[in-house]
Amino acid sequence: MVDGATANLFLDAAGAKAIGASIAIALTGIASAIAEKDIGTAAIGAMAENEGLFGKGLILTVIPETIVIFGLVVALLINSA
Amino acid sequence: MSRPKQMTRAVIVGHKSILKETIDALHDTNLFHVEDFVEDESGFKISKPFKNAEEVSKKLVKIRSIANYLGIESKKPVVQKSDAVLRELDSKLNELDRTISAKTESISQLENELKDMDSQKREVLPYLSIDLDFDYFRGYESLKVFAGTLKNNLEASQISSITQAYELYFDPQSKAVVLFVANNDADKVYELLQGLGFKELRVPERGGVPSELLRSIEQKEADVTRRIESLKGEIESLKTKYADFILASDEVLSIESQKAELPLRIATSENAFIIDGWTPTESYDRLVSVVNNATNGKAYITSLEVREEEEEDAPVEYNNSKSVAPMQQIMDLYSRPKYFEIDPSSAIFITFPLIYGMILGDIGYALILGSIALAIKKAIKSDAVSDMMNILIYCQIWTIFFGLIYGEFLGFPLASTHEEQGLLPFWHTVTLFHSIGGEEFTFPIHRAHMVMSMIVLSVVVGLIHLNLGYLFGFSNIAREHGMKHALLEKGSWMIIELGVLIAAVGYFGGSALMYVGAVVLVLGIVMLAMGEGIAGIVELPSLMGNALSYARIIAVGLSSIYIASTVNDIAFGMVWPDHSKIGFAAIAAIIVFILGHALNTVLSIIAPGLHALRLQYVEFFGKFYEGGGRKFNPFGYIRKYTEE
Repeated sequence: MVDGATANLFLDAAGAKAIGASIAIALTGIASAIAEKDIGTAAIGAMAENEGLFGKGLILTVIPETIVIFGLVVALLINSA
Repeated sequence: MSRPKQMTRAVIVGHKSILKETIDALHDTNLFHVEDFVEDESGFKISKPFKNAEEVSKKLVKIRSIANYLGIESKKPVVQKSDAVLRELDSKLNELDRTISAKTESISQLENELKDMDSQKREVLPYLSIDLDFDYFRGYESLKVFAGTLKNNLEASQISSITQAYELYFDPQSKAVVLFVANNDADKVYELLQGLGFKELRVPERGGVPSELLRSIEQKEADVTRRIESLKGEIESLKTKYADFILASDEVLSIESQKAELPLRIATSENAFIIDGWTPTESYDRLVSVVNNATNGKAYITSLEVREEEEEDAPVEYNNSKSVAPMQQIMDLYSRPKYFEIDPSSAIFITFPLIYGMILGDIGYALILGSIALAIKKAIKSDAVSDMMNILIYCQIWTIFFGLIYGEFLGFPLASTHEEQGLLPFWHTVTLFHSIGGEEFTFPIHRAHMVMSMIVLSVVVGLIHLNLGYLFGFSNIAREHGMKHALLEKGSWMIIELGVLIAAVGYFGGSALMYVGAVVLVLGIVMLAMGEGIAGIVELPSLMGNALSYARIIAVGLSSIYIASTVNDIAFGMVWPDHSKIGFAAIAAIIVFILGHALNTVLSIIAPGLHALRLQYVEFFGKFYEGGGRKFNPFGYIRKYTEE
């Protein structure tokens, strides 16, 4: 039972943009989180063996951040389009 | 652009009688990286350590275990004469060892007593509510005593239904029970008790009323604890008394043990020794004169011709000016350059703080972090810490610079925009020109209002950075394999970029330049395929990924602005409604303001730092850097607590 007003609510341009942007951020955020989780665990394992690996582990852990940065860029593009 | 220090391979040969003098001299100069000798068919063997090695290492182990036990940390050095330290070493070490072991022994004894008392206490506790002397619990011939706890309540009537000859003590709260019955009825009563969930408890062996017993135990406990505390205090005072001695003797012994164990790393025959290693070419002459002086010219020292494949594993020592030197920490965090590689320290000396500054770009945070860094540098005199703080200070200089460009102070805009008033009333935003996506390009740059322009700018900065990387790679390959390889492997990337650029200009300008660009692009791709084969083509899209990755400069920066301005909004929203009264809301606002910005300050080190670092390591270094060089580790010691 979708009447015109409700349909408009869903199809409102600004709203659709916001939803699109949020999907871009949310999915890439989750993707980075999953990737960083695996790297982080491995890095901690390596650090347990050799504490000097802290720096390298830290860097490796932020490498998948690029994914969410791309998401952010896409969100910004959607918003400013 | 610097390369690592030039190294010379040197060999020192001499008679065994001058081995000790040679080792002492090498150790003092701290310039010679000794290559470990591996036994082969040449007939040379590794030597035995000096006679005193065992004794020295024993003492060293002892002193380190004491230092570890006392928790002695390195501190501001009090410099002592090393021979004075050595003279006192034995007596002081023994005394210290004796005192500490005596004290720890008494402590562990007292702690055992404490544990004992604790278990005594636990035995007494259940009977506390039934204040009956424990001597009454035993020594009967015709009486049976049940002492313990129950799960359910026990009524006197339940017992009296079995027998009249009983004496019951029961505390309904703790459910502790003590019951005296005649032996004859014991079985029946036991059954009843079992039905109520009876659990027998041990009766303490000593006599006395529980409450008094408990009191005396607690008194003793307090006494013992006090004694332990005072012993610990004495150990603590030992720490302050002996800290200088321990640090100094640790150093002296470390030096002795290094010297004593060097023979294990060099080649010797019956009467001669050979020490093989590397020294920076610039200090070779000094090394020769020092060794000759120490041995009256009896040692033969010469430099060797280095073959190309040997050069690969020459130890690497940075060759940077004093201001660039802190960046070596960042290099080491990743990996030391190889001997023949460009050392990018001086490049990241500029690019790392620059990108950090571009990301953070806030005068307020720069001032806070800069003063914290200065304070820490003053307070802690350690080389590693001071290097890190220097890097942080370099970063803050660029942050202030970009803070002025962005016009930001703790998330507040300094200049007024069309919509809002800035902090500085006389600073107005000037529109410079219309730019990408219909945004106005203004000064100061309001990042939150011109996101698209900033993304494009970040990517442009990224492309410059990447091309710097290609240039370095070009130089590395040109030096190693010649111009042609360099042109094909690294130059091709730059030609590809040039092609894309020309094509893009042509496309937007609507001119034939587009086709020129396409031709250049194809030429670049063909060169790349010749240089790196199919792998190069596969990597083509990564160029776009790398360039877009620099969009994080604006993205991370925006997140910092949003946190800061949210804090500001909350804090000022709290005091805004009513200026006249400064009450609870104002205090809460101040707390929110301080805590919020403190949090953001911490984030301002981590987020921009990590991302700037990542851009160096992944995007920039990926274009030219191999790394994995061996650290130049000269035989010697940097004395801190002692002197000759």
